[in-house]
Amino acid sequence: MTSFRKFLLGLFFSFGLPWLVLIVIPALRAQKIAPVAYDKERDGMDGVYPGKGINRQGQLVYAREGCVQCHTQMIRPSFAGNLDGWKKGWGSDQCDAPRDAVRPSTMLDYLDEPVAPLGVQRNGPDLANVGYRYTDKDGKPDRNALHVQLYAPRSDHKWSIMPSFRHLYTYHKKEGKGSAYALRLPNASPDSNFEVIPQQEAEDLVDYLLSLKKDAPIPGQVVAEAAKK
Amino acid sequence: METTNTNAITSDDSNRRAAIDRSVRFPVLFLFANAAMWLLGATVMGLVASVKLYAPEFLDRSYLWFLNYGRIQPAHMNALIYGWAIQAGLGASIWLMARRCGVVLEKGAGTIVTAAVFWNVGVTLGELGILFGSGTALQWLEFPAYVWPLLLLAFLMIAWRLVGMFARSRNEQGFMITPWYVLGACFWFPWIYVTANLFLNTWSLHAPLGAMGAGINAWYMNTLIMLFFVPVGLGACYYFIPKITGKPIASQQLAIIGFWSLAALGGWTGFQKYMCGPLPAWMPAIGGAAAILMMLPAGIVALNHHLTTIGEHGMIQTSPTLRFTFVGSFCYLIASLVAALLGNFWTGSSMQFTHAEHGFHLLAIYGFFSMTMFGAIYYIVPRLTGCEWLSARLIRSHFWFSVYGIATLVVCMLVGGLAQGESLNAPDNWNLPVIGSIINARGYLIGRTIAWVFILWSNLWFFIHLIFMVLGLGRRSVAPTLLHREHDDAHATA
Repeated sequence: MTSFRKFLLGLFFSFGLPWLVLIVIPALRAQKIAPVAYDKERDGMDGVYPGKGINRQGQLVYAREGCVQCHTQMIRPSFAGNLDGWKKGWGSDQCDAPRDAVRPSTMLDYLDEPVAPLGVQRNGPDLANVGYRYTDKDGKPDRNALHVQLYAPRSDHKWSIMPSFRHLYTYHKKEGKGSAYALRLPNASPDSNFEVIPQQEAEDLVDYLLSLKKDAPIPGQVVAEAAKK
Repeated sequence: METTNTNAITSDDSNRRAAIDRSVRFPVLFLFANAAMWLLGATVMGLVASVKLYAPEFLDRSYLWFLNYGRIQPAHMNALIYGWAIQAGLGASIWLMARRCGVVLEKGAGTIVTAAVFWNVGVTLGELGILFGSGTALQWLEFPAYVWPLLLLAFLMIAWRLVGMFARSRNEQGFMITPWYVLGACFWFPWIYVTANLFLNTWSLHAPLGAMGAGINAWYMNTLIMLFFVPVGLGACYYFIPKITGKPIASQQLAIIGFWSLAALGGWTGFQKYMCGPLPAWMPAIGGAAAILMMLPAGIVALNHHLTTIGEHGMIQTSPTLRFTFVGSFCYLIASLVAALLGNFWTGSSMQFTHAEHGFHLLAIYGFFSMTMFGAIYYIVPRLTGCEWLSARLIRSHFWFSVYGIATLVVCMLVGGLAQGESLNAPDNWNLPVIGSIINARGYLIGRTIAWVFILWSNLWFFIHLIFMVLGLGRRSVAPTLLHREHDDAHATA
């Protein structure tokens, strides 16, 4: 029986070490991460990093619909030959030729998210900063464009392989002049008798996607960032 | 070894073995039959999911919203892992443990069947949960949070029996590498599963983990492969290869080194999935390093199996079990090479977040683990049912369609993943949307569908064949079904 005991101890310690060092201790420390305040002298700005969090209610819809299967939320640094930081539209600057690369993601960017949906695969674009992508001419968030993308993904890009999330919308006959919340679909005829109304879940999902702006300046690096400009 | 020398079998021995087989008959067959059913379901879902990646209009009806890729893909992987792989692994483990330890399962068959029912109820609830909107989006832990305690309880009920068998094993049983591996898996799986679920599904709601949670999720997937699928699969290889070739394991030292290096390295892998990400750099670094070092146990085990089989490779042609086991054990070597490719910086940064990772998972779960389980099932089931497999042709077509299917699948996913990743990282494409990676991967995704059709065909016949056997409708004969054109008795003991 002593060899059996030795064997069990072997199993215990060989796995217990990585379990403790790699999982338990870092996880307990990750749970204690707190926001960092900007230093007015050093950073030239007030407030705390990271700023506003994400919309948790919408994140639940994001999780339930399995968006992570195709979308990541993680900008990789460019040193390993990764292009994430330079991809058009993956940062705050939506113009064709941004001056600077988007900064890589950090632990604090995901503060207060129970489990960050970093993603399974990247069959679609990264969504870490997708909140900047859907804006109208005045720079205001364009909810309609995002709803259209979710409802009819191929109305913008014919080649898109994104599934439609029609089940988050109701499709019914117009009453009177129609609802103020109805989607303005690009290829719908204006005299159509039907309209598409987002359900609460679709609104939550859009709130969540618009809240994804994971590129707040990092305390201590703000001046260095600004100097590059 | 139990039957190193086939001439020395006494009627006492065969009686003892028959008693062992009788005692585990019902639970093992129950697990195998349910597992085969889930495998069929998982294959159908894999086929649907694979089509959706290049033809989004496929089954895209308003009333089929639950078949969106984001739901059917996790449902497919979870059915494959929990429905088929772990369940078949448990069935094989029970038989291997009982036989290798020479212990009759005196009481407890009922407990195991109850546990198996619990397990299947849990998997069913989980699958429905994913499809109908309570998925958690934690990769391979997508089952709704109320399912995991049920699965854990069922697993522990079975694992407890296995530990009991080992404790009662007779001392003269010799070198116990197979029970070691099975015990390791029984010990590690609950530990990994509880850790991942408590952190990710329970505590994270009160104490958010942020990016660390994603890292733990990646660790769960890799440790599930390295510390459950690998040990159970290798345990089966270490039993059936010597058993069928009639030769002892070539080197006990190599086997021991292989076991303990797996145990020491297996727990470190996983974080490399998020290399270059927000996690502290040492975590993916250590994960990648461990993934590369894992080639060591894989190489040692492969060498040992090769040395054991030397001179008897011809039996791969005749024995269905050895044939499946051989391919499985070969795939383990390939899978560890692919893991090393994915885990390092130079090749990994192009393959990160692409189909290549999916290819690795399927190579490990299907190419390696499932193949060894098929081998085990072809050996075990006739001994439990008292009848022989109906048709060598069905076994042959199961084998070839599985092998061609999984090879096509893995090659398509690895090359397609590389094409996808290279396109995303190509400096020329910086201002394009992801069209490049979608167009580049399309051909390989169609290949993936063809591969799933092959696998579906093979598993359909496997399922039907197995059900016939479980119902006792097999061939009444003393000669086992071998894969030669004519049924000769030359290898009747194989």
